Amino acid sequence: MPILTTGAIDSHVQLMGEGSPVVLIHGLLLGSLAGWYFHTGPALSPNHRVILYDLRGHGRSERLASGYDLVTLAEDLGSVLEATRASGPVDLVGHSYGGLVALRFALDHPARVERLVLVDVPLPPSSMSEMKGLEQSGANGLLEALPSGLRDAIVGGGRRARRFLEGIDFLVNRSSLLTDLAAEQDIPDEALSALECPTLLVFGQTSSCAAVGDRLAAVLPRARLQTLPGGHFLPMEVPELLTRAIVEFLDG
Amino acid sequence: MTAASAEILETLAGLIRQVIGEDWADDIDIGMETSFADDLELESIEFVQLAELLQNHYGKDVNFVSWLSKMQLDSIIGLKVGQVVEFVAQCQS
Repeated sequence: MPILTTGAIDSHVQLMGEGSPVVLIHGLLLGSLAGWYFHTGPALSPNHRVILYDLRGHGRSERLASGYDLVTLAEDLGSVLEATRASGPVDLVGHSYGGLVALRFALDHPARVERLVLVDVPLPPSSMSEMKGLEQSGANGLLEALPSGLRDAIVGGGRRARRFLEGIDFLVNRSSLLTDLAAEQDIPDEALSALECPTLLVFGQTSSCAAVGDRLAAVLPRARLQTLPGGHFLPMEVPELLTRAIVEFLDG
Repeated sequence: MTAASAEILETLAGLIRQVIGEDWADDIDIGMETSFADDLELESIEFVQLAELLQNHYGKDVNFVSWLSKMQLDSIIGLKVGQVVEFVAQCQS
């Protein structure tokens, strides 16, 4: 099932495996469901129905000019759950802003979320230094935040670089993504402390978000913090280690 | 190359052309040594699309995603068309 009508938009959705539902959510700009598709998805598929989707404007989902705030993106997640007929509480796994989408959804619909895995999420949402690079020097600034080995895999060559820059150009210059991101407020500790579901926090040792892991571990009632060697882009930097941490938490 | 492998290569090349678009694919001769990353410049999201097309074409016996999931990232990036042909041939034998 590649392209599904989810709510009012066309979303690229992929399903793997059978069992209790897990949704994997990627981060903004550089991300797509491909970031979860080759490691984490297959590793969870023996015990779970794994639902992967591209956020609006990303991957093969519809390129929409607006709606990149967390409330709208969490509504999109609800529409994906509806379209894939995922009934009952689900496990949500999200990287970066995708993790904040999961967190927003869990805060708005606590009964619908079984467990949460938040991978290197920024808080306040607008605080990521990787994004500041983007605002200052465009797509190149964003790429500089990546480990050099990954840069080639994303933008090496002519065709791939062109497609990548087209995608970034749309999101940065022709959508409200950066404005929405900048306007996003911090989630107060009182709201976070009401979140009852078991939560795994996975953060990169050298990430600019590392302190957020400590804050969430202190505030969330049922959270455990695990640190991995790497920066902000853990799904690309250490896919095997990240996958192992997620599988141990959800299946261990 | 066996007749079976030649047939798989032809099928796979057709699926790759669907993913990357005829305009670009016209300039490239897709053979066993063609690299997905260097020659075809496939994006990771296009790899997902190719996996889906392979699954639709060959059915559940050819589990491309499960095969890839056992590889390190470097190996996936360095993957050549011929390796996928051999993988499909093994699944069918």
